[in-house]
Amino acid sequence: MRLPSAALAALFFGAAASLAAASLAGAAGKADQRAKPAPQPPLVIPPATPPATTPPAPGPGETDETAALPTPSSAAQTLYSAASADLLQIRMLLRNGRSQSSVGSGFLVGTGNLVLTNYHVVSQMALDPDVYLGEYVDTDGKSGPIELLAVDVLHDLAVVRVNRNGTGFFQVGEKPVKLVQGQYLYSLGNPLDLGFAISEGSYNGIVTRSFYEQLIFTGPINSGMSGGPSVTAAGVVAGVNVSKRRDGELVSFLVPVKYAQALLRQASAQPHPPKDFNPLIGQQLLAHQRALIDRLLAEPLSMRAMGPYQVPVRESQQLRCWGRSNFRAEAEYTVDSVSCAMEAAIYVSDTQQTGHVSMTHQVLRSSSLHPLQFAVLASSRFRVDSIGTGRDTRLTRPACAEMFVHTATLPVRAVTCVRAYRKFAGLYNFTLLAASTDDSHASLQSRLDLAGVSYENGMRATRAFLSALGRSRR
Amino acid sequence: MNGPWFVELLARNGDVLHRQRVDGLPIRIGRGYDNDVILDDDYAAAAHAVVEQDASGRLLLHDLGTRNGIVIQGKRRQDAELTGGTVVRIGHTALRVRAADFPVVPELLDRTLHGWEGVLPAAAGLALAGGVALLARWLSDTEYFQLARYAEALAGGLAAALLWGGIWACANRLFARHARLGRHVFVFGCGAAALAGYALLGSTLGYALSAEGFTHYASHVATVLLAGMIYFHLCTIRPRNRIRYRWVCAGLAVLCSGLILAGNVQRTGRLSDELYMSVLMPPAIRVSPDHGVDEFMRDVEAMKGPLDRSRGRKPGDDEIND
Repeated sequence: MRLPSAALAALFFGAAASLAAASLAGAAGKADQRAKPAPQPPLVIPPATPPATTPPAPGPGETDETAALPTPSSAAQTLYSAASADLLQIRMLLRNGRSQSSVGSGFLVGTGNLVLTNYHVVSQMALDPDVYLGEYVDTDGKSGPIELLAVDVLHDLAVVRVNRNGTGFFQVGEKPVKLVQGQYLYSLGNPLDLGFAISEGSYNGIVTRSFYEQLIFTGPINSGMSGGPSVTAAGVVAGVNVSKRRDGELVSFLVPVKYAQALLRQASAQPHPPKDFNPLIGQQLLAHQRALIDRLLAEPLSMRAMGPYQVPVRESQQLRCWGRSNFRAEAEYTVDSVSCAMEAAIYVSDTQQTGHVSMTHQVLRSSSLHPLQFAVLASSRFRVDSIGTGRDTRLTRPACAEMFVHTATLPVRAVTCVRAYRKFAGLYNFTLLAASTDDSHASLQSRLDLAGVSYENGMRATRAFLSALGRSRR
Repeated sequence: MNGPWFVELLARNGDVLHRQRVDGLPIRIGRGYDNDVILDDDYAAAAHAVVEQDASGRLLLHDLGTRNGIVIQGKRRQDAELTGGTVVRIGHTALRVRAADFPVVPELLDRTLHGWEGVLPAAAGLALAGGVALLARWLSDTEYFQLARYAEALAGGLAAALLWGGIWACANRLFARHARLGRHVFVFGCGAAALAGYALLGSTLGYALSAEGFTHYASHVATVLLAGMIYFHLCTIRPRNRIRYRWVCAGLAVLCSGLILAGNVQRTGRLSDELYMSVLMPPAIRVSPDHGVDEFMRDVEAMKGPLDRSRGRKPGDDEIND
């Protein structure tokens, strides 16, 4: 069997590449860094990279027709050959030396010159336009400059303009796309900078864990494919590839196309692109934190009993709580902790994520330790040397207030430390640490972290959380 | 001036290394064996100098035409008058000549407690050091009781006391006549007890009175206590220089405190040692009243101004808060 068409050869290479991709994720180096860190529960450390065994990359002679690869479905073949002309790779280059610093994917919308991609693919260009510039490469290897028009940090979308027009294959219509669970979706992009590829998977509903709606795509999305389109078998764009869970298998996420529609309208309506995207991103982050804190405090925090204490938590689809205990440790005290955190954060740059809330309570108890021994134990647990990384230059150094405070039913030692974002005016990170001071054999230690909130909202949430700490009536 | 005369060979710090009595003048000094005072110094001539009395009774030193000559206060001389205090350098040897009637200063008043030497202070010091080590172990022990852990702590404390005391005893033997190990171990024991005492007292006061300064700046108290310890070690070696050591140790303490402050500002942008007071104590210790949540939130609100001002500055250039 001969495969004369260039597109099919590329397809074969792409399929082989996507197989190797899973294990090459770590080896791909620089090109790989765009991987959007998977949303994680805070107590779980994500596995660094998938499998340890690295099969050798297929040599030129090994990707022939005799290789044991699954035969791509005819739908994928058809789709890829029809879509390849409008599929682009988006690269971020250092202005100085034009070496590439990250890569992603994108696609031409309709017959215009607008390209849809992820914000995190172009974030360097948006944040530091003096240092980075962008470039596209199409499936024929031709390249050209890109111009950033609009970003939507919250949904992780961006619109750029290129110097060529689309063929009209990818249509982003005004109507929302109707999807049925289990329906085939085809995800296109350039995984790990190895070559353009199409991967097949299925649609599995809307994820409720993230703050903003995302679609679950059960299929492989690798770094480098971010910003590429996911289409139905009929070629209708359903979403934009955005991320995957590194602790799972084939658990990937798409941005629903309806958010892209809004952003495209905005991009084509504006007379000229903004000169500096930083204030714009700051405004979007401010809007996010308003919604976030409003939702957090929409109703009074729910109270849970932990030993003799009442602690506030908020458990919802976005905020997941996890418990832990040291009951097996050979120690003269017990620690029970509950920790609630949002599993998703807003990606600003590869070193900065924000718009995040987490809260932790731990109750230390001991009947056998002397009060002084217990005091030393509680003090060492209450000690935090630095709030976030001390050398983090994107934030100011922490300013802290500390006081012995009496809530309605509980005396606590309260500490609040705040750091301001240097680039985004009006945004702060709040950390509240509180420890009960009412018992010589028990200690409740609570912590609330709010990343990327306004001062007012930070104070509001801090106050609500602190006031809710209490002692249960006996 | 009348004989007999004493020729004293001196160390650089003025101590007498060797004293030789000479009954009559002239005194011949040199490397040769026909001298009255024989110098084991390769830079002294066989017949180097001679001490004589002139008509008016003054004691004079003459150079006997040598290559290296005689040097007084850095100047080479052919002849020199010797009063009791004149120190002459011949080659690499410093010496002075004193007559038997040279007046000496009155004796010092002996304040030393001679009963507090040797085993007694050593035992007290070891007991203190061991006690502090055991206390620290006990306070931080949250596991089930195991004798070995306490034995380890005790051994560690005693070893530290002996090591530290031993180093100072070596210095003592070197610069004074006796080792006085017992005294040095006792100084260490007291120092360790004082440091542990402050750690507890400072935390207690800070917690009881809501006075965070006691723990925010604890490193400076530790510096002062350490300087005090060094002062007592130095005084044990040479009690005469008490006043001078007082100044030296005070200077040392100020220097260290300054370095700690500068280091804190550089590293964390604040003067204090810690972000906040993390001490938690039994509730019975609290003395000062608790505040309301509103008052706390007002404090939090007050931080906004400085934070916003820091925002506009370069990283590392933030306002120093305290």
